[in-house]
Amino acid sequence: MKILVCIKQVPDMESKFKIAGDGKWYDSADLVFRMNEYDEYAVEQAVRLKEQVGSADVTVLSIGGDRVKETMKKALAMGCDRGVHIADNQAWAKDPMVIAGIIAEYAGPESFSCIFTGMQSQDRGSAQTGVLLAEMLGLPCVTTIVDFSYSDGRFTVKRELEGGIKALVNVQGPAVFTCQLGLNTPRYPTLPNIMKAKKKELQSLPVEHLQKIALHQKTERLFFPEKKSGGLVLEGDAADLADRLITILKQKTAVLA
Amino acid sequence: MVREFAEAEVAPTAALRDEEERFDRALMFDRLAELGLTGIVFPEEYGGAGADYLSYAIAVEELSRVCASTGVTLSAHLSLCANPIYLFGSEEQKRQFLVPLAQGEKLGAFGLTEPSAGSDAGGTKTTAVKDGNEWILNGTKIFITNAGDAETYVVLARTDKEALKHYGISAFIVEKGTPGFSFGKKEKKMGIRSSPTMELVFENCRIPRGQMLGEEGQGFKIAMKTLDGGRIGIASQALGIAQGALEAAVNYAKDRKQFDTPIARFQGVQFQLADMATQIEAARLLVYSSAYKAGNGLSYSQASAMAKLMASETAMRVSTQAVQILGGYGYTREFPVERMMRDAKITEIYEGTSEVQRLVIGTALTR
Amino acid sequence: MIMKVLLVAESREGKLLGNINELLGFAKNLAVETAVFLVGKNDSLPKFSGRLYLAPVEKHLEYNPDGHKALLLEVVEKEHPDLIVFAHSSYGWDLAPRLAFALKVAQISEVVALADDGFVVPACNSKLRRQVKSLSPRTVLTLQAGAFPTVENGASLPEVIPVDTDTAPLVGFAGYEAAAQGGVDLSKASVVVSAGRGIGKPENIAMIAALAQALGGEYGASRPVVDAEWVEHNRQVGTTGQSVAPKLYVACGISGAIQHLAGMKKSEFIVAVNTDRDAPIGEIADVLVVADLKQFVPVMTEKLKAL
Repeated sequence: MKILVCIKQVPDMESKFKIAGDGKWYDSADLVFRMNEYDEYAVEQAVRLKEQVGSADVTVLSIGGDRVKETMKKALAMGCDRGVHIADNQAWAKDPMVIAGIIAEYAGPESFSCIFTGMQSQDRGSAQTGVLLAEMLGLPCVTTIVDFSYSDGRFTVKRELEGGIKALVNVQGPAVFTCQLGLNTPRYPTLPNIMKAKKKELQSLPVEHLQKIALHQKTERLFFPEKKSGGLVLEGDAADLADRLITILKQKTAVLA
Repeated sequence: MVREFAEAEVAPTAALRDEEERFDRALMFDRLAELGLTGIVFPEEYGGAGADYLSYAIAVEELSRVCASTGVTLSAHLSLCANPIYLFGSEEQKRQFLVPLAQGEKLGAFGLTEPSAGSDAGGTKTTAVKDGNEWILNGTKIFITNAGDAETYVVLARTDKEALKHYGISAFIVEKGTPGFSFGKKEKKMGIRSSPTMELVFENCRIPRGQMLGEEGQGFKIAMKTLDGGRIGIASQALGIAQGALEAAVNYAKDRKQFDTPIARFQGVQFQLADMATQIEAARLLVYSSAYKAGNGLSYSQASAMAKLMASETAMRVSTQAVQILGGYGYTREFPVERMMRDAKITEIYEGTSEVQRLVIGTALTR
Repeated sequence: MIMKVLLVAESREGKLLGNINELLGFAKNLAVETAVFLVGKNDSLPKFSGRLYLAPVEKHLEYNPDGHKALLLEVVEKEHPDLIVFAHSSYGWDLAPRLAFALKVAQISEVVALADDGFVVPACNSKLRRQVKSLSPRTVLTLQAGAFPTVENGASLPEVIPVDTDTAPLVGFAGYEAAAQGGVDLSKASVVVSAGRGIGKPENIAMIAALAQALGGEYGASRPVVDAEWVEHNRQVGTTGQSVAPKLYVACGISGAIQHLAGMKKSEFIVAVNTDRDAPIGEIADVLVVADLKQFVPVMTEKLKAL
């Protein structure tokens, strides 16, 4: 069984961000990078599927500059068998349609039985790439999975919906799944596995041959939102205050949708 | 990997375990075994991970950054017990004792210190007398880290009463449960309270001849070589404590406002933090340098002494300063810095006091 | 200059979900014509003025992205909308990209605001904003929940146009599973309401818990309340308790000691209820309600329940 897991390297979200010179993306200098958190669950699930099936092979794919190879090594240390690095220093400027197109161009001929991705990236957060990839490959796709099982060519998963409710879905392979946080508990790569990963195959492919789709959207600028200046102080009688607070919560938060 | 594990699993219970003086073997040792850390530097053929000394130093530092007790558990196990067996043991001994230690099935400890033999290790009074195919051990060891829980002990005892101090000592491997080998009181300590420190009591304890480690009379040399490596572990532990204390102080200073300003904006505080960070960085380079030498077959006795001396004194200074920066809050157990300060002190004392480290360095310089 | 929008509504267990009102609110500022697509039941329909394309949920089910995509494509053929707008919900982010690919157009996700000639979306865990422009002749959008004003229930009834296709589902939907009732994990709650010393006595914890429930969240407490054993330790927020970063944090009777702040200052929106106008928590709160929580909290809870 051939399994593909697509991961993205992103900055640690606790970082202090700075806007890059051209104003279109964040400045990567002085940032600590790591695997997109949603992708950790995807890698873990891919490795678990391989362990369940036995004779299976997991390829981890990532697009970006040389730096992303570090993150790919973690995926290899978690149990992926080989890495495919698509060398592209401009990946940050590409929209999900282009990215999915690149992956589809690679994955098409490989006939993977199961493809995992994170449901969104922590930096761009479009939540589109996995679904677009499935559409391009003509495969069924289920997003936001928090439970996964496989038996005899059939996948049974649970989608996480709003309010903690789950939707039960089953699908015949081959299929694509986008993973939500909490799907499983991603393993720590043990030290021996980190050492073994150094010997696993990690090939770099230039992006030029794989990019066939043009940009569908462009980023005009990246900027910091207006800082909230101090706070609002409300005084009055309880009923009046409650009304006003409810209005504010409706306007400023998604809590009272 | 170690940092993520330390923050997610070790850090949350560090304060509680310190308060309760509780050793949690499942967390502080068995989990390390699962991650492949208990035999980091030993070759795979002996159950180790085949990694370098730098990886070991980083692992101990990352663990100690959140819990110095966990850091010393690993360091004492690996450097003080598993390592001498690796360096001086026969193939048979390595197979029998090193492999389970490296794989983390058994926890190790090192028994050198006695009530009247601390810095003066040559003053060892524990005896080992040959009787046919066995050695009979008699004596007491104190302040032994991991004691009580550890299964395997490397113990130093005097085999030749006539020989000059250092020359009549030999090393032995003793296992928990051997008749005649028991544990004395558990020490109530100022710091690293989650790490068990106990007495070893030998009363006509018989061990097979095959459990002498190295040659008869080679004990003192084995002990010194063992401590050379142990210093790197303790230096890393001290480094971790210092790093944790620095981070706590920086985070606090950014949040804490006095006179309408975060105290991190006051130059006085900034100067203090700058000094702390610089000293830690200097200590770190000494630790890495000694780890590099140890891992590459270079002589590292002086380097590791410098690393241990610098890192431990830095940890004491930085953690004390951190308490000062956190002020009244730092003095309470709500914040981790008072624990870090209490933990730091022992790093200046055990595995060779700062005075002994200075002797090692001074002697090497003036040889 | 937007001429037509097509909004995608959702139903759950046969009932129309309220997020259509946000999409209508968004459209109100823009569209000349608004149409809505829904796979649902005709006894639970949105109220607005325009065309409603309705596909029977009994046939097309509530999770059937390939089937819903085919239906939507039919509607797009008929309506020729410039914008096709979904809520950025588990239904929307699953279906929108499929439509975008089929139409070969851009999808812009989680829109929080309009910008001249483009849209504003969050980036990097909402720390940043990105202004993006579509390069396609029509665009698919998903809107962030709560970002646009909702339209209160209109009185108009739409013109209902049935739509149907015979696309076989590629995935099998087997129903829903209710949310589990388990031990409390404050770090997972999207709303946390905490009790501080100001609650006065343990009996008042109940009103905090009630407010938390009315807001769809969990209740927590500051250290002194836990130490007094009015609340169990796993609800403590602060340096020796849990660290939380929910969408909404309501601190009731909490002064804002640094240990507590450390555990909640990353919350997205902070409301403090305190009789002290100068309580330190006011410095990080988005809204400070100067009131006695014992009077304010029950009234707030009542009003929330009546919504």
